[in-house]
Amino acid sequence: MLSQVFHDIEKKIIHSLQPDQILTISEIEKKTGLQSDQVRRGIEWLKLKNFAHVKESTDIHYHFGEKGHEAIGNGLPERRLVNEIEKGNTTFDKLKPILGLDFNAAIAYAKKNNWISITKNEKSTELSLNKDHQESLEEKFLLSHKTLEKNKTNEIKVSEDSLFAIVSLKKRPDFIVDSSLIIKKISLTVEGKKINLGDLSHSSGAIDVESKVPEVFVARTHPLKDTIDEIREIFVTLGFSEINGNMTQSSFWNFDALFTPQDHPARELQDTFYLDGISAKKIATPEQIRKVSESHKKNWRYYWDINEARKMVLRTHTTCVTIKHLAENKLDEARIFSLGRVFRNEKVSYKHLVEFHQIEGVVVGKDANLRNLMGIQKEFYKRIGITKIKFWPTFFPYTEPSLQTMVYNERLGKWVELFGMGIFRPEVTKPLGITKPVLAWGGGIERIAMLKYGLDDVREFYNNNLSWLRSARKCQ
Amino acid sequence: MPVVELSYMRLQKLVGKVTKKQISDSLPFLGLDIESENKDLIRIEYSPNRPDYSTDFGIALGLQGLLRIKTGSIKLNIKKSKKYAISVKSEVSKVRPFVTGIVAKNGKIDDKTIKQFMTLQEDLHFGIGRKRKKLSIGIHDLDKITFPLVYKTTNRNFKFIPLNSKKELSISEILKNTDVGKDYSSILENSSQVPLILDAKQNTVSFPPIINAALTSVTTKTKNLFVEVTGINKEDAEDMLSVVATILQSAGFTLESVQISGAKNSSPKLEQKKMSVSPFLINQTLGLNLNNSKIISSLKKSRLDASTKGKNIICTIPAYRFDIFGPMDLVEEVALGYGIQNLEPTLSPSQTLGQKHPSSISLQSLSSIMTGLGYMEALNSSLTSKRILYDNTKRDSSKILSVLDSKSLEHTILRDSLLPGLIDNLAKNIHESYPQKLFEIGTIFNKTSSVTEETHLCAVSSHKDANFSEIKSVLQSVIQSIFGKTCETKTSTHPTFEKGHVANITVNGKIIGIIGEISKPTKDNFKLRESIVSFEVKLPS
Repeated sequence: MLSQVFHDIEKKIIHSLQPDQILTISEIEKKTGLQSDQVRRGIEWLKLKNFAHVKESTDIHYHFGEKGHEAIGNGLPERRLVNEIEKGNTTFDKLKPILGLDFNAAIAYAKKNNWISITKNEKSTELSLNKDHQESLEEKFLLSHKTLEKNKTNEIKVSEDSLFAIVSLKKRPDFIVDSSLIIKKISLTVEGKKINLGDLSHSSGAIDVESKVPEVFVARTHPLKDTIDEIREIFVTLGFSEINGNMTQSSFWNFDALFTPQDHPARELQDTFYLDGISAKKIATPEQIRKVSESHKKNWRYYWDINEARKMVLRTHTTCVTIKHLAENKLDEARIFSLGRVFRNEKVSYKHLVEFHQIEGVVVGKDANLRNLMGIQKEFYKRIGITKIKFWPTFFPYTEPSLQTMVYNERLGKWVELFGMGIFRPEVTKPLGITKPVLAWGGGIERIAMLKYGLDDVREFYNNNLSWLRSARKCQ
Repeated sequence: MPVVELSYMRLQKLVGKVTKKQISDSLPFLGLDIESENKDLIRIEYSPNRPDYSTDFGIALGLQGLLRIKTGSIKLNIKKSKKYAISVKSEVSKVRPFVTGIVAKNGKIDDKTIKQFMTLQEDLHFGIGRKRKKLSIGIHDLDKITFPLVYKTTNRNFKFIPLNSKKELSISEILKNTDVGKDYSSILENSSQVPLILDAKQNTVSFPPIINAALTSVTTKTKNLFVEVTGINKEDAEDMLSVVATILQSAGFTLESVQISGAKNSSPKLEQKKMSVSPFLINQTLGLNLNNSKIISSLKKSRLDASTKGKNIICTIPAYRFDIFGPMDLVEEVALGYGIQNLEPTLSPSQTLGQKHPSSISLQSLSSIMTGLGYMEALNSSLTSKRILYDNTKRDSSKILSVLDSKSLEHTILRDSLLPGLIDNLAKNIHESYPQKLFEIGTIFNKTSSVTEETHLCAVSSHKDANFSEIKSVLQSVIQSIFGKTCETKTSTHPTFEKGHVANITVNGKIIGIIGEISKPTKDNFKLRESIVSFEVKLPS
């Protein structure tokens, strides 16, 4: 639909044409007082909106030349020839001086009209009149203009005869000049006739609501934050309460409390970010430190160094927050989750970031078992829209048994690893006084967000590229 | 996770009657991820707690169990022999106190077998050997060695022909000039004396934990092997030896014992251990209701032995399964033998009410307030570079907080402000249409005697008419919505902002942040042209 709002020009034209006028452009000019280019523009607009028709009619404009006027006064050369023959002037020699320059034309047209016959003998060329030399269509047409003023543009309603006459006369030099055979006639369409110019919606205060406008962009929460919020919401509806903690943690809570030996390769500089020159003063209660160190010494058989445990790191998982919370609160029955940034000292690539978000959930309860853990996973994945999953065994230093979820990535056409899970080892829980089984699982959120937003490069989430942020769909 | 490369054909030969598909279907249920496949070759990721899976011999043992071709534990048949002995000198106790070993005879060694032994050795060195610091291993051609051996120390001028060399090199030269010497010399740096194994003819067998002698190198012509493990702990050394012994026996060798004595060393026993586990714990942990015979058959499929004793199940665990610490590890072995694919997930009803952390709720509403004010949310890394955080913004870097040895140059220090990251975001979006308005809510880090974390809100607005009043209007409504209070802006200075166009933000007379127009020099450093106004505030914790 094009605009229903009319420009003043349009309104004037409509007014001139209502209710049933058929007018030429010049007539509209006269009636509206508009310039002809204004009229032409207005008509184009109305035509586009289907309010006006433009019909090309075969009405004629014409304008007589000098010869034309002469013929109106004296008759056409062929008629003058006939009159001379009737007077007795029948030879070329006699007629030539009388007709002068018109002689050739007179002979040619009289012959064409089959008014005369020509006979040649030794002495001269003799003309004689045929039986029929009545008034021709051209003559009739000219005679109808007997009373015409000179140099006037004429318009007439066309008859076929006069059309023939004009076409024929046009072939003769200087009889008719400036003729235009086609003329535009403007009228309103059915819709155009219905327009009520008194209607307010067409008043000049209205605007063109359908025209293009400058672009503005939504301000929105970050797409990754939306996924994080969605996951938080799912955990809450599954009965989990959120806990949080610092990103900077002592090695004690990040590693030692989770049964990762101090000489384990994962604790080395190339995998973990250690804070330069900063170590924790108070890391845990003396009892916690004693029992954790005993568990290490007994099971891993090495010299446990408290200074290693004091080293501050950027947490490599949120499990440090969870285990600390469990150790401090000694819960018998609980569902808790934590969500936040974790860090790995890796080379940045399309699939690895040094810093990403992790979700982690735990269930504490005397009857908590591995099948429950798998059940919660299945339910969680279902709620984020992933239904094709399976479980494989795997290894984590602080859980036993340990599983990983494999989810089917339709786009890549293969199974990809998503969350890891397991039951906290007794070597982890016992020293910290946690007596009930603890089911734990977790994984990276960016991976899920990549599936949701169809991204192949995880770095996109942190590029803050406005063209992406402004165009990424809000509800996925 | 470590990776091992295997051949299906070899695996099929080792496992017994089995198809390629049965193998590839079963591997994940042993905890082995297929990383890639190329015709006959497969690359497999295995867990660092299972060094026996670093060879196809070990994986074949696992597959046999899972596919019920052979179940139950692998017993080591070690022929007692008096021919082979190592005596240990007390001087090694300060350097690398323990040695142990075994002899393996009458095996066939082809190129592929040598390759598997090499990956095994590499894995043992890296994993339980802790990069050779804790333990190291040497595999030698038995027939080039004259027993008895002596494990002693020597000084750094001692010379022998090491592996991959044609001439004699001194210990110092080996440590300084060879790749392996350079990689591991730090293990020995605290001592002028270094460990050495010599044979009865005074030929060097090994210079642990660095390199073997060229003399004893193993080739495809070798039939009989001598394996030695040295380290700083006797139990660990015997654990490592048990893995090698198990693999060599599986590879077709017959084992003979080596007698070890002196300086608290003794001959390795490599015995199976017994561990009791209650069926109740198993069923409770797995959420199953298995009878004892099903539990026993599952354990046997995991290549362990088990029998009922009273209410409990007594499990017999071969020495190489030192990853089994206690009953919970046996629960996992039952689960693997039973088959993870046979465990049906169940959803136990929630008996708890979930809730968000109060700070999540307030930060979520702050985000929606900022978007309501027309600001787009950005997310930047906590780890950033000195260039962005301090150099370009001219901020005070005296409390710079670095991480050690970052692999990424763009991520070497922790941010103590959100603003530099957002200005950098504007710099990366100069080709996008203006106005550009961004905000970020995030954690910043302050270096104190330790480190403290705060949550900040920062907003930037950039367009040609951006000015102080505009951003102050935004600030006022934000502060009103966070604190329910009005804020004041007090004339101040800040290196990132334009002089005379910057103020401290105070609420109740307390400074909580900064607001102003970004200075021309800062904009120039980021190659930005349009005006930028900004504020950053600390949020209540």
